[in-house]
Amino acid sequence: MTQHWWHVAISWALAAAGFGIMAWLAASRHAAAKRRLALFGPRERRQG
Amino acid sequence: MKLSRKKRRLWIVVLAGLGLGTATALTLTAFQDNLVFFLAPSEIAARNPGPERAFRLGGLVEAGSLVKNTTPDGRPEARFRVTDGPATVPVTYVGVLPDLFREGQGVVTLGKLSPDGEFRASEVLARHDETYMPPEVADALKRTGHWDPKEGAPPPAASWNTMQPAPVRQGS
Amino acid sequence: MRGVSTPAPSSPRPLAATAPRGGGGLHRFANPGRFLRLTDRLLPWLWALAVAVTGAGAAWALFFSPPDWQQGETVRIMYVHVPMAWLAMGGYAGLAVASLMSLIWRHPLADVAARELSPVGAMVTALCLATGSLWGRPMWGTWWAWDARMTSVLVLFFLWVGHAALVRAFDEEERGARAGAILALIGAINLPVIKWSVDWFNTLHQSASVTRISAPGMHVDMLYPLLVCALGFTLLFAALVLARVRAAVMEKRLRQMQLAQARRQEGAA
Repeated sequence: MTQHWWHVAISWALAAAGFGIMAWLAASRHAAAKRRLALFGPRERRQG
Repeated sequence: MKLSRKKRRLWIVVLAGLGLGTATALTLTAFQDNLVFFLAPSEIAARNPGPERAFRLGGLVEAGSLVKNTTPDGRPEARFRVTDGPATVPVTYVGVLPDLFREGQGVVTLGKLSPDGEFRASEVLARHDETYMPPEVADALKRTGHWDPKEGAPPPAASWNTMQPAPVRQGS
Repeated sequence: MRGVSTPAPSSPRPLAATAPRGGGGLHRFANPGRFLRLTDRLLPWLWALAVAVTGAGAAWALFFSPPDWQQGETVRIMYVHVPMAWLAMGGYAGLAVASLMSLIWRHPLADVAARELSPVGAMVTALCLATGSLWGRPMWGTWWAWDARMTSVLVLFFLWVGHAALVRAFDEEERGARAGAILALIGAINLPVIKWSVDWFNTLHQSASVTRISAPGMHVDMLYPLLVCALGFTLLFAALVLARVRAAVMEKRLRQMQLAQARRQEGAA
């Protein structure tokens, strides 16, 4: 792989990593909130 | 009552925005001279930076002006002229030129202007113009005589940005 | 995870149906239950579409688009760099709009949106700077130059990071949101500076290629994959922000319920 392709590959890998990490963070936040809301039981369902 | 509070907030934001915008515009205008990244050859006479001060010189590499040598100690040396149309400055540079360095292309060099009028560069950066085209299209434009990259910018984009040169296209 | 276990702040502006009247139809979306139900159905489709479009755009850009006659294969960095630059600026315009709605109409969802927008905006701006650097090294011959374009984008990055930090710096959420909104609006003056820096000043960075759709200075074989990539990354950006706002709304409701439960237990004791 030439140096030019390395720079292209690193650029795309950085973008994939950035969006991937942010998506994982959002998903885990969402899952944690959902799990803890479920502890309040059916009352939470009624409010929603 | 509620509406008037909202209106008042709206007016405060609009006035603050106007003030901030004016202040920024004035600041940018006042400091425009200090915000330039490089001087064009025709601006040098007016600014006269002197032989002691390092500054950046930018413009197009003049067609046919590039001469590559090797210094006595074996390092690559380049001589070329930088032009912006009205004025031209000869430049010498010892070092490796960037990939995009070409005659007819933009360049920004950092260095000092010696008293004999020659610019001794310690750093050369290539500028890229805002055109993107596949090699086949560039070849077709060159072949049909519509564009010589050494002479500067390509013809208007509308004439080539949908071109699909499979065979050699004459004329058009 | 930030925010989940922090003690509940006594927000005088709850995210409930008590939104002030007269703020236009947008207050319909201030109802958190309706927002959660709507996005629960919308978000999976948005993610799927975003991943599909970005994937197609990436394949087109990396393998099925021509090299540039001068830059060769390195031009494929453009298909990430340019969408990141557009998103960094477009996202900031969105932040400014949310800040206006927060300051003037006190829209309750605008604060949450602004708060969840800025970390994503900081990320795309960082990606714009990093890919620009990786592109500049082989093409210009330098990783970085202090020209007007690059400096103003660096300022944009600091504005994003500053906003993200400022809205989280106050114990009282509303004061943080107010301070952040003011910072965001002041910083919006940077957007026209970025946009026209390459025309107003001598810069190392070239001028815009895609200005008028009629005659962009870019061949269509590169323009079309660029537009697909831009659409894909925009959808990803939107999905990311929406998912974060969703999580934030749920966290807020969780804090309200914990508070209510604590009050009930106090009352029973």
